[in-house]
Amino acid sequence: MRHYVERLEEGLISLLLVIMTMLVFVEVVMRFVFNSGFLWLQELTLLTSAWFVLLGASYGVRVGAHIGVDALVRLLPPNIHRLVSIAAVGMCLFYCGLLFAGSWVYLEKMKKIGLELEDLPYQKWVAHSILVVGFGLLFIRFLQLLWKIIKGESIGFQLADEAKEVLEEIAHIEPVKKNEGDGR
Amino acid sequence: MITAVLFILLFLGIFMGMPIAIALGFSSIVTIYYLSGDSIASMGLKFIENLTDHYTLLAIPFFVLSSAFLSTGGVAKRLIRFANAGVGHIRGGLAMASVLACMLFAAVSGSSPATVAAIGSIVIAGMVKTGYPEEFAAGVISNAGTLGILIPPSIVMLVYAAATEVSAARMFMAGFIPGIMMGSILMLAIYIYARIKGLPAQERVSAREFFSAAFSASGGIILIVIILGAIYGGIASPTEAAAVSTIYAFIIAVAGYRDMGPLKEIPWRYEGENAGSAIVRNTWQIMVGIPKAFFAPDVQKVVLDGAKVSFMLLFIIANAMLFAHVLTSERIPHVIAEAITGLGLPAWGFLIIMNLLLLAAGNFMEPSAILLIMAPILFPIGLQYGIDPIHLGIIMVVNMEIGMITPPVGLNLFVTAGITGRSIVWVVKACLPWLSLLLLFLIMVTYIPQISLFLPELIDSLRTR
Repeated sequence: MRHYVERLEEGLISLLLVIMTMLVFVEVVMRFVFNSGFLWLQELTLLTSAWFVLLGASYGVRVGAHIGVDALVRLLPPNIHRLVSIAAVGMCLFYCGLLFAGSWVYLEKMKKIGLELEDLPYQKWVAHSILVVGFGLLFIRFLQLLWKIIKGESIGFQLADEAKEVLEEIAHIEPVKKNEGDGR
Repeated sequence: MITAVLFILLFLGIFMGMPIAIALGFSSIVTIYYLSGDSIASMGLKFIENLTDHYTLLAIPFFVLSSAFLSTGGVAKRLIRFANAGVGHIRGGLAMASVLACMLFAAVSGSSPATVAAIGSIVIAGMVKTGYPEEFAAGVISNAGTLGILIPPSIVMLVYAAATEVSAARMFMAGFIPGIMMGSILMLAIYIYARIKGLPAQERVSAREFFSAAFSASGGIILIVIILGAIYGGIASPTEAAAVSTIYAFIIAVAGYRDMGPLKEIPWRYEGENAGSAIVRNTWQIMVGIPKAFFAPDVQKVVLDGAKVSFMLLFIIANAMLFAHVLTSERIPHVIAEAITGLGLPAWGFLIIMNLLLLAAGNFMEPSAILLIMAPILFPIGLQYGIDPIHLGIIMVVNMEIGMITPPVGLNLFVTAGITGRSIVWVVKACLPWLSLLLLFLIMVTYIPQISLFLPELIDSLRTR
């Protein structure tokens, strides 16, 4: 069950990125080939990107896609490192909570006024509802992380390591040369 | 007071290991909510505005995705073969060809570590085999790889454009000449070194091999022409050029070079197959293969990897805009700018301080994160000194390049260490002589604004005529 939810999340995020690319591509083709265009295409693309980013942000916490500086906390002894991490996750939760509340109030106001999007005939609060979804999911992800740290399964944030990633990418192409016993 | 709280919270968050995006957002909203007294709803509004008001920013996910499609070994190998056919016969030619290949690869991808990994994994071993010292090979590649963020398209330049609202297209124009210059400086240094040390040259390749290499690399090179032509010619915005190049890169990777997807390992022409049946077979296979590629696991993985980098960057940017909002509404850059100009510091002095500050920051943080924090502060100060915003941007990008090869967080160092299997200290030593060239280049770029401004101004004058 959990596996399927994860696959769904990945699929949805990839799909949103593909849709964004296609929308802009279609816009370019429309302009060059048919010499026309739709104003709403741009708005739709930007909304898609907002959904993409906010859904991605919480997914990124789970898979360690976010970048950060962990050089300093790594120097701390493990116990203190864990305490610092718990405090840091607490700050993240506070951030999500505040923005969740802010988004909720904002959406409520939009719904009350009944404001529509600029070029698309839809209610603004519906299109912008990703705010509460995104920050809600982000909050849950950080709660899970907090629980993991408290239980001792994790010591801190899982942060992205670009150098490691590009090396893994090329690892299957070229045999990486290893010099054994090199300690200089 | 507000300034102090903002910066203390930011750096506290960063050094506690929080993701940089959230450290930026956290310090900003706490300051806005508790000290500026803005309503809580305005933060929700501000956040969605940050995400939906900047069409230019969409170029970031598209360039990330297009370079993900082309960052496979196939493209790198073809570019290296092409570069080698061009300059391989000169003394030190293999090393020069590696620099050239890095420059070409930089123009299809927007990332430095990816350039080092893709080119370095092939050429470092090759250079060692033909008699180059390994330190030399590792140093050259780590440095040439930094060109990834200077030669357009560049993710870091897009981030700068987002942070300061200068035109991304003009940044791309401005990066072109400095990029070529830095590459040429590296190649010249290699040539001199090769003359002194008597490094080997290769045999001059036949014209046939040269054109065959050029043809096989053309899939990547045409992409450069599309992107730069569209942007420099003013035909398309960077966002549009990026979207088109993504679609192109996908088709090249799946149907042209067949590095991934359902056509992988299927040759264009089987041995003994006649041309007619090869054309029919390939047309059919490509027509079936392209839709099928959407469901191929390796293609899906590339898209997902591109997505991860994209939303990570865009999420940082959305939060950094909250941060910039606090800065401007509290007039922090103005206050700092007035204080600095009040000291009677000349423009060149400010540039020195800026360079030192950025170099120091580059040792600890990712280029995009540094620019998002520093650019909103340094930009207004630079304007007050009458420094051109585009020139300022190029200076910052070159600083970030140096940050990629200085410890402890120089990404290129880690990649080179990974490729060669050596320790970081060894790689740092190998890079050192080349680093001094890069520093020299930084001084040139800082004090000769024409290097950066010549091309954008030339294109402007051509257009208005």
